[in-house]
Amino acid sequence: MKIKERIRDGVVILELSGKLMGGPDAATFNDTLKTLLHEGYRNMLVDLSRINWVNSTGLGILISGYSTVKKGGGDLKLLNVSDRIESIFMVSKLHTVFVSFSDEEEGIRSFA
Amino acid sequence: MTSQDGAMKDPGERSQRIELKIPSQLLYLGVPDAILMELAGDLPCDQKDIDEISTSVIEACTNAMEHGNGMDEQRQVEIHFDIAKDEIAITVLDHGPGFDHKGWIPPEDLLRERGRGITIMREFTDELDFDFAADGRFRVCLRKHLQRRE
Repeated sequence: MKIKERIRDGVVILELSGKLMGGPDAATFNDTLKTLLHEGYRNMLVDLSRINWVNSTGLGILISGYSTVKKGGGDLKLLNVSDRIESIFMVSKLHTVFVSFSDEEEGIRSFA
Repeated sequence: MTSQDGAMKDPGERSQRIELKIPSQLLYLGVPDAILMELAGDLPCDQKDIDEISTSVIEACTNAMEHGNGMDEQRQVEIHFDIAKDEIAITVLDHGPGFDHKGWIPPEDLLRERGRGITIMREFTDELDFDFAADGRFRVCLRKHLQRRE
């Protein structure tokens, strides 16, 4: 998995690409979020449009990231969740945890 | 169907088998997905069905690598795809001690970081069975009926 960061209106947009499946990606993602929190950023929007697939350990990465940001006083929301990934969220009830958007502007405004 | 020990039923007329062996490394988890996505265009079913069986196979292979083969790269995960026009049956074999999923209840904590694989496989397949093959390997059998594309 690759992570690309950009910032719009104080919101960090983290563009993930590849496969979200655990392994070393877990530490990489969490370290990225911790660094951003340390730098003072609190609002994170994670763009999943370039993620091919997610497995249950990949879900764990997102949950770990969500918990890290929440503990740091911020919020983590999702952007561009594909139908395939949305169906996994539904059966694992994670749609009740993650707020997601299909429009970047709307996602950014939600942090206001 | 060409199952050597007769553990799985015939998935439908003209089923074809593909056999695959992958090392226990996470980077290979995308290979069974790629095979199913390649076949998806030629099967008269919704993409949703292929997505669901493929997600289930990725979960079965993740478990086989981590819990079955202990991420030992020398131990391979073997995957059999039995493809018919109305059904896909997949068998995943590993070298681990196995477990019985029937009594498994998912933890209630939504923020737990592990323990969703069985739920995903149960929800996304029509049949899910765990047992041991004749050669002693642990075996997960997944079956998905394909909804005909309108």
